[in-house]
Amino acid sequence: MKTRARGHHTARTLDQLAAGERAVIASVDCPPAIARRLMELGLLPGTEVQVIRRAPLGDPLEIALRGVHLSLRTSEARHIDVTPA
Amino acid sequence: MSRPPEAAPRRIAILGNPNAGKSTLFNALTGLRQKVANYPGVTVEKKTGSCDLPDGRRAEIIDLPGSYSLQPASPDEMVVRDVLLGLQVDTPPPDLIVFVVDATNLERHLYLALQVIELGRPIILTLNMMDAADAQGLRIDAAVLERQLGVPVIGISAVRGTGLDRLRDLMARDVEPSTRHFREWPSHLQRVIDRLEQRVPRLPSVPDRARRDVAVAMLLDQGEDDALAKHVSAEALADAHLLARRLDEFSPGWRSGDVAGRYEAITALVAEAVNAPAGDHKDARRAAIDRVLTHRIFGPVIFVVLMGAVFQSVFAWAQPLMDLIDWGMRAVGNGIGHAMPEGPLRSLVVDGIIAGVGTTLTFVPQIAILFLFLSVLEDSGYMARAAFIMDRVMSRVGLSGRSFIPLLSSFACAIPGIMATRSIDSRRDRFTTIMIAPFMSCSARLPVYALLIGAFVPNRWVGFVTLPGITLFAMYFLGILAAVVVAWALKRTVLAGGLPLYVMELPPYRMPAWRSVFITVRERSLLFTRNAGTVILAITVVLWFLASYPKGGEAVRALEAERTQVAAAGDTTRLRALDNQIASAALAHSFAGRTGRLIEPAIEPLGFDWRIGIGLITSLAAREVMVSTMATVFNLGSGESDVQPLRKILREAVDTRTGKLAYTPLTGISLMVFYVLACQCMSTLAVVRRETNSWRWPIAMLVMMNAMAWLASFTVYQGGRLLGYGA
Ligand SMILES: Nc1nc2c(ncn2[C@@H]2O[C@H](COP(=O)(O)OP(=O)(O)OP(=O)(O)O)[C@@H](O)[C@H]2O)c(=O)[nH]1
Ligand SMILES: [Mg+2]
Repeated sequence: MKTRARGHHTARTLDQLAAGERAVIASVDCPPAIARRLMELGLLPGTEVQVIRRAPLGDPLEIALRGVHLSLRTSEARHIDVTPA
Repeated sequence: MSRPPEAAPRRIAILGNPNAGKSTLFNALTGLRQKVANYPGVTVEKKTGSCDLPDGRRAEIIDLPGSYSLQPASPDEMVVRDVLLGLQVDTPPPDLIVFVVDATNLERHLYLALQVIELGRPIILTLNMMDAADAQGLRIDAAVLERQLGVPVIGISAVRGTGLDRLRDLMARDVEPSTRHFREWPSHLQRVIDRLEQRVPRLPSVPDRARRDVAVAMLLDQGEDDALAKHVSAEALADAHLLARRLDEFSPGWRSGDVAGRYEAITALVAEAVNAPAGDHKDARRAAIDRVLTHRIFGPVIFVVLMGAVFQSVFAWAQPLMDLIDWGMRAVGNGIGHAMPEGPLRSLVVDGIIAGVGTTLTFVPQIAILFLFLSVLEDSGYMARAAFIMDRVMSRVGLSGRSFIPLLSSFACAIPGIMATRSIDSRRDRFTTIMIAPFMSCSARLPVYALLIGAFVPNRWVGFVTLPGITLFAMYFLGILAAVVVAWALKRTVLAGGLPLYVMELPPYRMPAWRSVFITVRERSLLFTRNAGTVILAITVVLWFLASYPKGGEAVRALEAERTQVAAAGDTTRLRALDNQIASAALAHSFAGRTGRLIEPAIEPLGFDWRIGIGLITSLAAREVMVSTMATVFNLGSGESDVQPLRKILREAVDTRTGKLAYTPLTGISLMVFYVLACQCMSTLAVVRRETNSWRWPIAMLVMMNAMAWLASFTVYQGGRLLGYGA
């Protein structure tokens, strides 16, 4: 488990972004097959993402990138490192 | 009309991302009626139709499932890849590909387009949803795309039908394949791929340029690729796996290196060809709607209210129409009854055909209304939000939001629902979803619920809803509850493990395409009516025979003797009672009656008598046959010559042995519970066999569901009696 980010220099993961917050994907550290699929859906390092909202029960997230809205679980988002936009 | 001697028709495949509008285009080109809906993963099988080209030739059009990538992640994506690479022996690669992209979403949709263009097959890039793109002020320069991609590009709107003539013109022409490549493999990887390419067998169906993609597939294979295992030798695959593991050590990240390359090409391409207006007011309306529909509190509340409203209206709106059909049926029955001379033929027509088939037809309005709601919800994009809201709940039982839509389709019918599981990537999740899909109350159960609720549940208002509405909702809910329990148990035992990747696209809201809504409603109602005219008619005739013969029997003869005496005495009330007793005794003596009584001991603890037993047996053909069976059995089993409303008959049915009412509301509830849980549909079992490729699952399903049904009905009936509800 990663701890919550405290400052701008600490690397954060996608699931830690607040609703409405934007960031840039730094890396996708899932198992290879999952990482490949996520990248094919556009979650590439260097891509800007915005967390739109969380589902009413807290999971999954709705994110927007490259003009597409995807829903993604926290369990995957946790492995996606982001840097501030 | 005479045609020039035909060459083999051109085979044209429609391809693209999920939800790009492929089936809408397919329907527009072929005049067929494939299911269309606003969520990804609607089409899961390839469907074919034909279309006349402007030059008089005929083309065979193939609608393929949507796919995100040529590296498949689910069974339906596998179909697409196999067809394209020529690995599917029964379907050679198409002569031409019509590649459909959503013009409002070029960046993402072009990814698969580039992969397919790289295959070097003739392809037309079709920019669909140009109406929506125009509305957003997007300007797309098709000439730039044509130049950069090396393929013809055309803008259309499949929903409005614009641009289709030009598309048909293009489809008749010979299109040169593109020679472009959009990704570079690093040289060490290229060497590995070249080496593997030598090991790909030379199949006539696999063109030279696709051999490299087969090699890449071998390298990326995780041992679950059936088509590869069939065509490539086991040693070659084992070598590929070894090479892949070596690559994992020496150059991590190689598995997705080509993805970035393609997206770079796309970013450059889109920057040059697309002119988007500043600001993202495209999202303003969507955001406003989503703020409400996926709100933390309102979201789930709206979901529940909406579903409740659907069931309520299925009842309320359909009622006047049902009464009308019911009245018409009885008028026809009585008219014919009076016109025909008494005898077996009249009995067949009035008690058999008109009572059986006519009663079934009264449920057409409910079927139509159910599908009206479902397809509006699907086509507007709400269903995808429902999946989003429900994912967390589904994950509690070990499934994901992906299972939600197949399960929801199962409310219409478990068969399309089970087929829709093909878009679920994890095999374990897919099988679990298949096993619980039949618990969703399908539309064939609706007539049974409707009949029993009409007969036994008083039409009283409770707050905002009526008692029948609540009861119906409760039956649907019971099915869901059973599904949850079974899924939970399966995911903890035989199908444990493998948390899958859950990513789902949330499409924009769209005004439902009324044409496709109308088509769905009409198709479904017609299907139901057609069944009434064929399967149900046939069963009704057979059943009438089985319930009418053999005639006579001791009990009947004794009663008839008594009747002669009573008739002589002129006691009319006694006469009527005797007529009913005779009819009932004759029914009990018939083939059907004997069979019913044979199984009676097994169902008596549930509160069902032998007459319901007959219905349970005929339900194996289709659940709604229960209704026509009851109509036939009770009309034959009553001395009345008029066709009676079945609800009334059931309410007043008498147990001839005790002389008391045969059925109480408790019987009705117990019977409904039985129908919620029991596995009675042979077609479902056949589909489960096909989709799981084994007899194990359908047999397990049959045993499990029927055991649950029996136990639950037993508990309801006996428990209810203990609590004093049996009277
Ligand atoms: N505005 C607009 N909507 C369209 C157009 N074509 C299709 N749609 C809508 O897009 C949605 C998806 O259409 P489908 O034809 O089911 O898409 P598909 O590509 O077959 O989807 P899958 O079978 O899931 O792969 C539906 O809601 C259609 O009504 C179009 O030209 N314009
Ligand atoms: Mg489709």
